[in-house]
Amino acid sequence: MSNEKGSAPPGRRYPAFWEKAVPIALVAIAAAIVLLLGVALAVALGAWRG
Amino acid sequence: MSTLIRVLPFISCVVSLVFAFFVFRRYARRRGSHLLLWGIGMVLYGIGGFCEAYYSAFGWNPLVFRLWYLCGAILVAAWLGQGTVYLLARRRWAHALMALLALGSLYAAWRVFAAQLDPALMTSGLHTGSELSGRAIVTPGVRTLTPFFNTYGTLTLVGGAAYSAWLFWRKRILLHRTIGNILIAAGAILPAFGGTFSRIGIPGALYLGELLGAVLMFIGFIRATTPMQAAGAGAQAPTTKAPSPS
Repeated sequence: MSNEKGSAPPGRRYPAFWEKAVPIALVAIAAAIVLLLGVALAVALGAWRG
Repeated sequence: MSTLIRVLPFISCVVSLVFAFFVFRRYARRRGSHLLLWGIGMVLYGIGGFCEAYYSAFGWNPLVFRLWYLCGAILVAAWLGQGTVYLLARRRWAHALMALLALGSLYAAWRVFAAQLDPALMTSGLHTGSELSGRAIVTPGVRTLTPFFNTYGTLTLVGGAAYSAWLFWRKRILLHRTIGNILIAAGAILPAFGGTFSRIGIPGALYLGELLGAVLMFIGFIRATTPMQAAGAGAQAPTTKAPSPS
């Protein structure tokens, strides 16, 4: 069963808007995390005092 | 200092304390370490906002600055993130990380309250002095603590909320929790970006980021804990243990 693998059963869908919006938002959040970690690393290493 | 910058932290303080009240009320009904820690985290958020509002209204005060730096700059993200750790991680790991966080918080409190301060440094470089800034801390090594706490907080709070949203989205269940977790993740990121923009000299960026962050997280929490009326994917029960502000 697909559910045992953690994926959606066939045919189960969110409304069309959310089907597109959710993955876009998640990718944007992931990119933001990477960016912030870079800033934090720069500050911790003293490379950027701001 | 513009009127807007004066008002923003006061609103942030009110929003975050109201948010904390909702979280504590839910904790009183349902229990759960994650709710308790999120409530504490939002109180820390509120204290940070209060200190910023005090600075905007009355100017420099060393005690207020120290409280702001400890609660608002160092601890808030990490304690909120620790709540998410209790939701996502095994209990044993969560307890171990909680012990580390508690010890780290005590050490940070000692360093912040023992540090030498010079408010004149907040107007040096790109920083305008219109907002509180860690630049006022003269003693070396204190500001170095901040990225460690904030990195832990960002990874656990933002990463945990995004991971939760992804789990729900992958199974196409509980749409309200998917949306709520995305809003929480986005809201938790905003103060960090506000701080970054403030570092490069954009006035009001930190306070605006904090206000928008508190509002988004609050909306996200309400969204995640309120089932949607529409039938279909969003109305089904989860089949696995999935993190949410339940």
